[in-house]
Amino acid sequence: MTHTSLLKQDARTAKRNRAETRFQAYGLIAIGIGMLMLMVLLTTIVSRGTGAFQQTFLTLDVTLAAAKLDKKGERNIEDIKKVSTFGYKPLLVDAFEALVESGAVQSDLKPKDMAGILSKGAEAQMRDAVLADPTLIGQTVSFDFLASGRVDGYLKDRVTRESIVNDKNISSEQLDLVDQMRDAGVLGKKFNIAFITGSDSSDARPEAAGMGVSMVGSLMMMLVVLALALPIGVAASIYLEEFAPKNWITDIIEVNISNLAAVPSIVFGILGLAVFINYMHLPNSAPLVGGLVLTLMTLPTIIISTRASLKSVPPSIRDAALGVGASKMQSVFHHVLPLAAPGILTGTIIGLAQALGETAPLLLIGMVGFIASNGPETITEGLMNPNSAMPAQIYEWAKRADPAFYERAWGGIIILLVFLITMNFIAVMLRRRFERRW
Amino acid sequence: MPLSFLGNPLTLALLVLALAIAGYALARGRAMARAGGDARKLHSLPNYYGMTAAMFAAVPALGVLVIWLLTQPMMIQNAILPMLPVAAVGERGTDSLILSDVNRVAEGLNIAVAQGVLDPQSIAALREDPSTLRKTLAGVGVALGSDVEPFVLAAAERARDLDARWDMIRAGVVILIALAGLLLAVRAADPAFRARNVVERGIMALLITAASLAILTTVGIVLSMVFESLNFFSQHPWQDFFLGGSWAPNFRGNSELSILPLLWGTLYISFIALLVAVPIGLFAAIYLSEYAGSKMRAIAKPLLEILAGIPTIVYGLFALLTVGPFLVDVFGAGGALSMEGLRDGDPLMSGATAVITAGLVMGIMLIPFVSSLSDDIINAVPQSLRDGSYGLGATPSETIRNVVLPAALPGIVGAILLAASRAIGETMIVVLGAGAIARFSGNPFEAMTTITTRIVSQLTGDTDFASPETLVAFALGLTLFILTLGLNVIALYIVRTYREQYE
Amino acid sequence: MQDIPQTSEAPVASTSKISAKGVQVYYGDNHAIKDVDVEIEDKTVTAFIGPSGCGKSTFLRCINRMNDTIDICRVQGQILIDGEDIYDPAVDPVQLRAKVGMVFQKPNPFPKSIYDNVAYGPRIHGLARNKAELDEIVEKALRRGAIWNEVKDRLQAPGTGLSGGQQQRLCIARAIATEPEVLLMDEPCSALDPIATAQVEELIDELRQNYSVVIVTHSMQQAARVSQRTAFFHLGNLVEFGDTDKIFTTPEDPRTESYITGRIG
Repeated sequence: MTHTSLLKQDARTAKRNRAETRFQAYGLIAIGIGMLMLMVLLTTIVSRGTGAFQQTFLTLDVTLAAAKLDKKGERNIEDIKKVSTFGYKPLLVDAFEALVESGAVQSDLKPKDMAGILSKGAEAQMRDAVLADPTLIGQTVSFDFLASGRVDGYLKDRVTRESIVNDKNISSEQLDLVDQMRDAGVLGKKFNIAFITGSDSSDARPEAAGMGVSMVGSLMMMLVVLALALPIGVAASIYLEEFAPKNWITDIIEVNISNLAAVPSIVFGILGLAVFINYMHLPNSAPLVGGLVLTLMTLPTIIISTRASLKSVPPSIRDAALGVGASKMQSVFHHVLPLAAPGILTGTIIGLAQALGETAPLLLIGMVGFIASNGPETITEGLMNPNSAMPAQIYEWAKRADPAFYERAWGGIIILLVFLITMNFIAVMLRRRFERRW
Repeated sequence: MPLSFLGNPLTLALLVLALAIAGYALARGRAMARAGGDARKLHSLPNYYGMTAAMFAAVPALGVLVIWLLTQPMMIQNAILPMLPVAAVGERGTDSLILSDVNRVAEGLNIAVAQGVLDPQSIAALREDPSTLRKTLAGVGVALGSDVEPFVLAAAERARDLDARWDMIRAGVVILIALAGLLLAVRAADPAFRARNVVERGIMALLITAASLAILTTVGIVLSMVFESLNFFSQHPWQDFFLGGSWAPNFRGNSELSILPLLWGTLYISFIALLVAVPIGLFAAIYLSEYAGSKMRAIAKPLLEILAGIPTIVYGLFALLTVGPFLVDVFGAGGALSMEGLRDGDPLMSGATAVITAGLVMGIMLIPFVSSLSDDIINAVPQSLRDGSYGLGATPSETIRNVVLPAALPGIVGAILLAASRAIGETMIVVLGAGAIARFSGNPFEAMTTITTRIVSQLTGDTDFASPETLVAFALGLTLFILTLGLNVIALYIVRTYREQYE
Repeated sequence: MQDIPQTSEAPVASTSKISAKGVQVYYGDNHAIKDVDVEIEDKTVTAFIGPSGCGKSTFLRCINRMNDTIDICRVQGQILIDGEDIYDPAVDPVQLRAKVGMVFQKPNPFPKSIYDNVAYGPRIHGLARNKAELDEIVEKALRRGAIWNEVKDRLQAPGTGLSGGQQQRLCIARAIATEPEVLLMDEPCSALDPIATAQVEELIDELRQNYSVVIVTHSMQQAARVSQRTAFFHLGNLVEFGDTDKIFTTPEDPRTESYITGRIG
């Protein structure tokens, strides 16, 4: 036996220690990559999405000439309604002409082309205002118009003079006008609440698209999921955890549930399409159908977490209840279930959050590709009328050609993530607040 | 008809619930009265008598209602099928097409009548020549693919007729069942009656039903896909689907619909995703479970798990708009690594959607999946094995490589299989990031398509559920389901036996 | 008991293998070992006895710095092996543990073959230059572990397939294979049946020829059977340390006497 001193490291140990350091470094690098990816993802979302909450508006005084809007002069609402948005176009042209005459801006453009820097919804905005208050006719009113998507992009550095050379929607002269108006302080970016509350818009008006209606669609689906998945999931868990005999049927159910939890979500979409729409003839694109599909998808998650929280209630509680003469059913419903409730709730919220972000099955039951312009009036309408959902709306925008929609897709993600973070935060708080160590 | 509101299933269900509440009050009151107002003389608490009645009134009636709702459409279809001309049904596959036309016309007529656009007389007038009906129905928002033929209108009318009649019969039967149940339970309400036992048996039945819903879902998944797949294989040779070499759907017929190029794209992308996720996830798990202090674990673990909580649509957008363009900057025309010189001026990567784009992003998504599963599994390795190794003078990394990982290997293999099944079934990332071209190619910078993307594209937009180009989606779905199910079963089995080993 | 190398009352530091001075161990706020001094001699079996939670295992684990793997554990004081402080910053615990082997309470064979279990230590420490040498080391260790005859025909079988007593002797063989100078045993027989215990005790007695063995045990009978020196721990204090015969016949401290006669513990 060689007698070596412990105080001197031999060459082999040094080599082994270097290997040790390397190995640890791999681990740190792996975690570092994970964190880096998270950072990149989050900064991308924030940096590209926050723009959607700001929109370029142009403040313009428009004279609502009675000669154009109400030729009879009787202020009869039916007569005023007969003037279509097309009839409001000349008013805009006049307003731009007046602006040039006042000397506030100089441009060689025809006033008609000047109006091209506005959103195509500007006329409808005026018409809506007039219909809401016919007394405005004859007055000069100051409107905040949405600028067109291109102008908005120009202010957000997405559109440049080089990029619009072949663009027939905007010209360099129009951008000159925009520059002047910006300097004059009548055109600029403002917080755009319509992005959060509004509805989707057609391909030609990215500046007007909003998340509001699809948010309602998501909310409706979550109501369905909560109303169905929670009671069914809890009932199934109680049976499996507290009453089920150990036999092959129970085994099959258990294996089934763990497998369902791992079935790709798109398969649930196919199920929804085949059963709820093609067979049961429930309406296409309805949040009710989306909710049903998501319920089936979320059930396994809820069952698994509910069973875990039922299992964490110690058997001594059940014994104590049985010991004073309660039936098995009473011991479960009076004692075990209330004690497991916070855990069940936490699991349900996490399941709901998962369902809220799910997109693939919604594509198959038709919750994309159309524009629901108004939100539903009642719950039934909300459940049965075609609608979109937040993630499906984001997908829809991501598929459109105009890059202006990409910004809205990122913005939509911010809204979606705010919901998810809030839900997860509530779940964590619930767990912290009620967690019990037996 | 004054009672026609009962045809609405929702109204009917509410009515049944009202009966149940009435039954509750009646039975409870009767039991108390018979006990002379002294609840102690009752076998069970008074509420249980009420609950028995409510249960007997509501549960069988609602059960019949649900089953009826599910079967009525099928029964009506069977009833109108003989009315269709043989010539039209004879051609294989078109019967379902005609049936869906009939259903749409019936639906349109319902809406039109409800809105007052049509009335029974005007419908009767259309019987000979229903060609104007298409326009009328379009006016109420029901678009039809072609002009309505007389036999379709006749079938639609018959369907409406049957529907209305059966709705009323249904209402009658359901209400009768509810009343019978109520009566039975109220009559039984007696101090000696063991109401609690009955209620508990009823609740147990509900619990069992809820638990078997999981099985029902699986059966539903399998059935819905098997039938449509059979339908597909009756119209399209299975040899082409399983053994063909190309995917070229053509809505004018003569499509080549082979799963193989899609399977190749799916597996290729999943492979790249695992190549990213497995080493990173595994090393992260090793570091977190074996080296990291409790503070670092408390911060790093939840942060990594955020990656798993981010919806896949976000990853899809990230692939399409960030990672794809970035990769094109590097590998595309004019990029630092485009290899244009070596490839006759042809850059390595031409578009943002590519196997590598989808694979990388999916890999990021799977990191926390691999790491948290591996973390659990590594933690299940008993500390005594680590002590044994440290006691022999092994360094931590030697202990991990030679003792912990080999002991945890089966579990880690299971975790990787689960991650693979996740990758194969992932939809949004590949829909947005992988492209739409079905091909066999080894170049990861090319766009390729996957099973899930094709399911989405075949089933969205204007689809005709009688054509093989649409039905193929069900065959693809079934294949995907079997594939992922197989992986899950194997993985869960491995993980389960692994856990038992150390329990 | 024969062959006691030293008279009990004259422990001389220069001849002792391990020498501990003023050792304190803390688990977080819990003061687990209080100011322990002990001299452990070469080629002797030293037994640590005492009631559960008295700190005997904790002290044992200090001798090869196994406590380093527990985050909240702090060790103060001095432990010298062959005159070198093992808590000196220059000492690599990896090298130390090769010199001070350890056998644990529960047999913990790796889920590998019998051969690989024994070859593990020599491999990581690079003790063999080739396969033949490694074979030789494994055989020698298994022979010294008194298990060679039972396993020589199935060296490639998994170590976890052996019986409890065989597993523990395999673990002892595994510890011996790295050629340690000191062997620490933490209740090595507590998970074994009486027959397996007898086999392991016999083995411990043989190991005394080559190693300094320190054994922690619950059983006073076992301490009396296998050890020459005994240390009695109580509530983190070393109460009494001396020749085994003397401790069991004429203990000096009343606490030792109470424990031996069964009044505490």
